[in-house]
Amino acid sequence: MNTNIETFKYDNRIVRAFAIATVVWGIVGMLVGLLAAVELFFPGANLNLQFITFGRIRPLHTNAVIFAFVGNGMFMGIYYSLQRLCKARMFSDWLSWFNFWGWQLIIVSAALTLPLGFTTSKEYAELEWPIKIAITIVWVAFAVNLFGTIVKRREKHMYVAIWFYIATVVTIAVLHITNSMSMPWSWLKSYSMYAGVQDALVQWWYGHNAVAFFLTTPYLGLMYYFLPKAANRPVFSYRLSIIHFWALVFLYIWAGPHHLLYSALPDWAQSLGMVFSLMLIAPSWGGMLNGLLTLRGAWDKVRQDPMLKFMVVAVTAYGMATLEGPLLSIKTVNSLSHYTDWTIAHVHVGAMGWNGFLTFSMLYYLFPRLYNTKLWSVKLANYHFWIALLGMMFYAIPIYIAGITEGLMWKQFTKDGFLQYPNFLETILQVVPMFKLRAIGGTLYIVGTLMMAYNLYKTAKSGVFEPDTEAQAAPLEKSPAAVQGKPAWHRLLEGRPLFFTVLATVAILVGGLVEIIPMFLIQQNVPTIVSVHPYTPLEVLGRDIYIREGCLGCHSQMIRPFRSETERYGEYSKAGEFVYDHPFLWGSERKGPDLAREGGRYPDAWHYNHMDDPRSTSPGSIMPRYLWLLTQKMETDSLPARLNALRKVGVPYPAGYENGPAQKDLQAQAGKVVANLKQGSVKGEADKEIIALIAYLQRLGTDIKSAPVTTAAK
Amino acid sequence: MIYHIVHSLLREAENLNVYGLFSFFLFFGFFIGVLVWAFALNENHLDKMGGLPLDGGERRGESSEKIQS
Repeated sequence: MNTNIETFKYDNRIVRAFAIATVVWGIVGMLVGLLAAVELFFPGANLNLQFITFGRIRPLHTNAVIFAFVGNGMFMGIYYSLQRLCKARMFSDWLSWFNFWGWQLIIVSAALTLPLGFTTSKEYAELEWPIKIAITIVWVAFAVNLFGTIVKRREKHMYVAIWFYIATVVTIAVLHITNSMSMPWSWLKSYSMYAGVQDALVQWWYGHNAVAFFLTTPYLGLMYYFLPKAANRPVFSYRLSIIHFWALVFLYIWAGPHHLLYSALPDWAQSLGMVFSLMLIAPSWGGMLNGLLTLRGAWDKVRQDPMLKFMVVAVTAYGMATLEGPLLSIKTVNSLSHYTDWTIAHVHVGAMGWNGFLTFSMLYYLFPRLYNTKLWSVKLANYHFWIALLGMMFYAIPIYIAGITEGLMWKQFTKDGFLQYPNFLETILQVVPMFKLRAIGGTLYIVGTLMMAYNLYKTAKSGVFEPDTEAQAAPLEKSPAAVQGKPAWHRLLEGRPLFFTVLATVAILVGGLVEIIPMFLIQQNVPTIVSVHPYTPLEVLGRDIYIREGCLGCHSQMIRPFRSETERYGEYSKAGEFVYDHPFLWGSERKGPDLAREGGRYPDAWHYNHMDDPRSTSPGSIMPRYLWLLTQKMETDSLPARLNALRKVGVPYPAGYENGPAQKDLQAQAGKVVANLKQGSVKGEADKEIIALIAYLQRLGTDIKSAPVTTAAK
Repeated sequence: MIYHIVHSLLREAENLNVYGLFSFFLFFGFFIGVLVWAFALNENHLDKMGGLPLDGGERRGESSEKIQS
């Protein structure tokens, strides 16, 4: 046995920095969410400013909450627990601060670029290519710091929380790089390397696993650390935690296609996504029960300790969300729930309950310890708990009702076989009262968070910050096998981070590769349609405006093969229709009707008036006005760069087309739109953005009309 | 060579449901392996591992009770 006890110090400064960032960005992200919620029943709440219109602030809200609030919370918890589990200070203080300031810079960049309309449109991956590169660099710094700390640890065995941290680091790196592959055409804009169906599969493989490996696995690691700490007893079953970890990381990666059920994605991929999602219930509930049972014999503490109260609700919300997720992946259930607010309710139970409450719990745990004092007011923390719980209920219950109502109304037929609610707007106006209740719930949740911020501030003021905590431990022995005899192979695994990381990486890669490689290799997956042609230059500009405004936040472009959808929107969408869509714009939510077959449905003048004031053409509409499109000039100088980038990712524009002919075609098509507007008594100007957007909308879904569907020749 | 064989098999596969079966059995085998591993673990070792978060090596005591109330 090693008797050379070493004295060293844990770095608390970095933990405090991430803790403060968590609180600040949490409040910001939630306030943006509240504004978005209000705009859904009061469209004028954007004050007719393009920068705070729903389509632009929806991704700002999701990014702020996921990457700023939960992201900083994750770093806070990992930097605190990793040092203590490894009995070592972080590998490099410089890397810790690079991680911190780099991450804050990325958040500020997101807060600037998203309202300005610089977005890739891919959900939870909206940030454009320079920011994506910055994310990669900062993530690598975090990974080096994490693995460096593990290497210099004084505790031989890696506790299960560290396994979850390793899986997080590796998987997020793989997902981020794969989904970010794009072709830049300016300093802040790019086109996805993938198109249509392939883009959709890669995106939702990423999107689903961003939830899995950014919002779930790191927080599970934190649960396995902070829950035993708070309860002052070990986790209920360490054996179960091992099964939980391996089953979860292996299964999660397969489930992405459940976001694309009944879409143009091949059936085999959909079925895989559904089956693996259902199997996920087992490890998820294993983890939840493991967490709750850790409190056996300690429930009296839950009554007194607000931190444990938050923790119990967080673990319970994890259980609820991970039961509901697989249920929503069953194709029959999904046919009703998809595109409705049911999904929004589901994610908010996870975000507010699991991530939010666990973050609050960690903050209440950490602040008194960092400042070497007691929590300023346990009473105020208890008030926070109840108001946040009430807020979550007020948020979730109305939105569940709204989602199910929408789904049922969209599918309802009269006894004569016609749609009961043929006007989409009717179905949305029906649930507007629920949107209002949701905003009340969100407000309560934010009030609770502000109460916490005040409580933590007063706690900090009442104590003295301890920048370093002194600790003692024996150094790791060089050759444990020689001392202890031949160790079992599982102990070897727990003691060898590199080998462990390789195994974890293989586990997460298997699912991804089995799904994605066939999708790219098998041509049968995407039958081509001879009449589908690349977008014209004007339509390309219009499509980019559609992306900039975040139209897909409310309008899908994917008609599923249900009679209720084909009656309402037209023929169901085919995979071959999207082969030139870089990126795909299927969307995931309908606050307005699907636009996949919008082309030719209304005259150009209707679209002009609709953008000018949606309520002039659709009384009661909740869509905001897009006045700036009527006055802002089209940006045509970059047209050659755009077409060139599209050609590089596979769109067959003729060589040299962008140098001259493209501008001519653009002018000619713009002239036609202006002429059409004139027929509708609207005076439009050919150089305004609205002209490009109308051209794009009128193109949507028109290629397929009277066109044969054929599989590509081998 | 292996790449070409796999590539050709995938291109010509008509019934892609084989992926579903393959995937299921892959996971099933993996899961059984993890179960066997977990149940073969030594109880003393599990107790030691489970107790790791409770000993952070701090010289100052850090119990929940002392700080919170």
